[in-house]
Amino acid sequence: MTPASPLGAARFLATVPPLLDDAYSLAKWLCRDADDAEDIVQEAAVRALKALETTAVDRPKPWFLAIVRNAAITWMARNRRKDVAFAGDLGDLDAIMPAGDQGASDPEATLIAAQDGAQLRRAIAALPSPLLEILVMRDVNGLSYRDIADAAGLPMGTVMSRLARARCALAKSMKAEL
Amino acid sequence: MSDPASDSHSLRLHAALDGELDAANALAFDRDLAADSELAAEYRRLEAVRAAVRRHAPREAAPKALIDSVLALADAGGPAEPANVVELAPKARPSHWRQALPLAASFAVLGFAAGVALMSLRVPDPSHAVAENLVSDFARAAVVGQPFDVASSDRHTVKPWLAGRTTVSAGIVDLAPQGFPLAGGRVAVVDRVPSPTLVYRHNEHLVAVTELPLDARGTRGADGITTIDGYHVARWTDANLAYVAVSDMDEKTLAEFVAVFRAARAAQSEGGRG
Repeated sequence: MTPASPLGAARFLATVPPLLDDAYSLAKWLCRDADDAEDIVQEAAVRALKALETTAVDRPKPWFLAIVRNAAITWMARNRRKDVAFAGDLGDLDAIMPAGDQGASDPEATLIAAQDGAQLRRAIAALPSPLLEILVMRDVNGLSYRDIADAAGLPMGTVMSRLARARCALAKSMKAEL
Repeated sequence: MSDPASDSHSLRLHAALDGELDAANALAFDRDLAADSELAAEYRRLEAVRAAVRRHAPREAAPKALIDSVLALADAGGPAEPANVVELAPKARPSHWRQALPLAASFAVLGFAAGVALMSLRVPDPSHAVAENLVSDFARAAVVGQPFDVASSDRHTVKPWLAGRTTVSAGIVDLAPQGFPLAGGRVAVVDRVPSPTLVYRHNEHLVAVTELPLDARGTRGADGITTIDGYHVARWTDANLAYVAVSDMDEKTLAEFVAVFRAARAAQSEGGRG
């Protein structure tokens, strides 16, 4: 590898290390494996260092998480089974729709809150990747809708509807397990 | 849920939940929420889902090995190539650099000739490379305006932070009474090993003390104060560790700092580790 220039290295050190927890969490949810997540983040950091040689970024978090996301997609396309690939048929997703007509009530909210963590994590992991990544970027990484739209390269409306579908799918699966 | 009206109704619920509504929409939403009990129940249900996700799927800490290897990326090639240190100058003082270019070029030619002549005699001086690397770190931190990774004048904050990231256990002394308050700590990667660095402040100046194991490459020899790229570098060792202090203070103040630091460390190891 070519050595980093001092400016590139300085930008890199100011930008990337504070985001490693977020990057690792995102990668781990996307590829569903801790060791793979480390490889993906390492790969993303190499790409980030290269990019920072020539550019500065003003919103580092969505910028770096976008690199992590792309690294994860490339990595999965190279190493993985089809079932977690991103290029799924989004038409299938329409089956999972917001369940607004279920006559929701307060006891339901209480039961959801009392859910077992392992069950919930299973339900999250079972989400289709296009929904999962939006949910993780929002609720784990805390990105705004606009930042998610940037990071995932999607229109804001798509981000919003996928987030709604993801949460409603979780609510549904939790109710199913109650 | 194919009805677009109810679809956008649901999207608005989520946007409200995420604090993404602008003031006017948020106000309208609050009114609807108060008037419509079904909407309120749905909102509470979604709130519970989001709270459960945040509680049970929290952000995870990146493993230390990953952090170290990512930090090492920025340093790749740094320690072995003093050229890196020199390159920092143009960012800080572009005009000087341009004036110096022809001179630098002639030095380069000279240096090449000398290098060829000395090829057989050349003994790498690792201690100099380490000092240059640390000066580069110091200058980089000054350029970025971020002289430490953890900013705290409390050694009980700095110590555990460093302990989780480095192999050398830094004994941290507070020198505020002597005029050198602790400003924070950071990790310097020396010869691929993350090493604790303590940053002290004196008026507008900073001094960064890096602690290295005695057997680390390049810690032997060359004790005393030298000047690299305009920064003063003090080096010394005690029974357990080797120290390299880089500072933008004048030489006399740095010597004073070293004396104070050594006295405090000696007192600390006599009285048990703090």
